[in-house]
Amino acid sequence: MCEDCGCGDPELVSVDVHEHLLAGNNRLAEHLREHFVQAGVLAINLMGSPGAGKTAVLERTASAFAEKYRLGAVSGDLATDRDGERLRRAGILAKTITTGSACHLDAKLVHDALHEVPWRELDLFFIENVGNLVCPAIYDLGQAANVVALSVTEGEDKPLKYPVIFERADLVLLTKIDLLPHLDVDMNALRDAVRRVMKAPAIIAVSAKTGEGMGEWLAWLEARRP
Amino acid sequence: MHEYSIVASLVERVGQIAADHPRAVVRRIHVRIGDRAGVERVLLQTAYDTFRARSVCEHADLAIEAVAGDELILQRVEMEVPDV
Ligand SMILES: Nc1nc2c(ncn2[C@@H]2O[C@H](COP(=O)(O)OP(=O)(O)O)[C@@H](O)[C@H]2O)c(=O)[nH]1
Ligand SMILES: [Mg+2]
Ligand SMILES: [Zn+2]
Ligand SMILES: [Zn+2]
Repeated sequence: MCEDCGCGDPELVSVDVHEHLLAGNNRLAEHLREHFVQAGVLAINLMGSPGAGKTAVLERTASAFAEKYRLGAVSGDLATDRDGERLRRAGILAKTITTGSACHLDAKLVHDALHEVPWRELDLFFIENVGNLVCPAIYDLGQAANVVALSVTEGEDKPLKYPVIFERADLVLLTKIDLLPHLDVDMNALRDAVRRVMKAPAIIAVSAKTGEGMGEWLAWLEARRP
Repeated sequence: MHEYSIVASLVERVGQIAADHPRAVVRRIHVRIGDRAGVERVLLQTAYDTFRARSVCEHADLAIEAVAGDELILQRVEMEVPDV
């Protein structure tokens, strides 16, 4: 086996590691969490499918909180700065993180992006994750809470099909409820599916278009401010 | 397909561990993947097989132990070290 010196049989060495596969990310996420806690910034990791209405909720949140709090955001986007532009127009200090082929944000991408947002001066910091119900779920970003936006157009079965992301959510925002009169979706079944997978079920139904439910969402955020 | 980025960090970590053992050949890597870990075991294996070539893991099999829960653990690394 030993080709260099021919000294005989190789020794078998077994190293016990017992370490999380994302240990590197998790360490950096803890570091980010310390930053946010020390600076008194409430950091929210907002996840959901593409088109779930994540950016729209943030736009509406920004106009409601404009006089009261300083808002910042980073948004993960495969290729464009469109969400960043929308968020800045809404008054949020926002920076796009272009992820290229990566389908999720990780702690390093967020930490790097902090250099370009005056995050220490903020009250609320939103991390709009890449639109995806699978990959973002397992990456800790140092957030105080995970929020999953699920639009009422996506179907009642999505929580059951993508349980991991809902299991790790602190809040599920059911979005676009102004569309309900036009849809066949069964809201009770949808709420039921969410409750079945969330560890501690918390659901707020909102419309970024009409503003319905936004008060409850804003109160939820305020209750979590450090 | 975050399985690819997970494999990239796995291979990097195994490289660090192997570096403590000069001229070691990594033979087997044991990981434990929970059914709620958010990682597809089949995709992880595929990603590993794509990634291992010309890396420290080239001669190492990936042994995936399927468990319940959200575990996502690098359990053990087995190497052959020349007996000098
Ligand atoms: N009717 C209605 N449309 C919405 C609402 N929120 C978002 N949309 C629309 O849904 C689409 C996707 O919204 P966007 O905020 O970009 O979703 P994101 O990809 O999750 O950030 C856009 O065309 C929005 O205008 C809502 O509350 N009601
Ligand atoms: Mg968006
Ligand atoms: Zn730092
Ligand atoms: Zn992915």
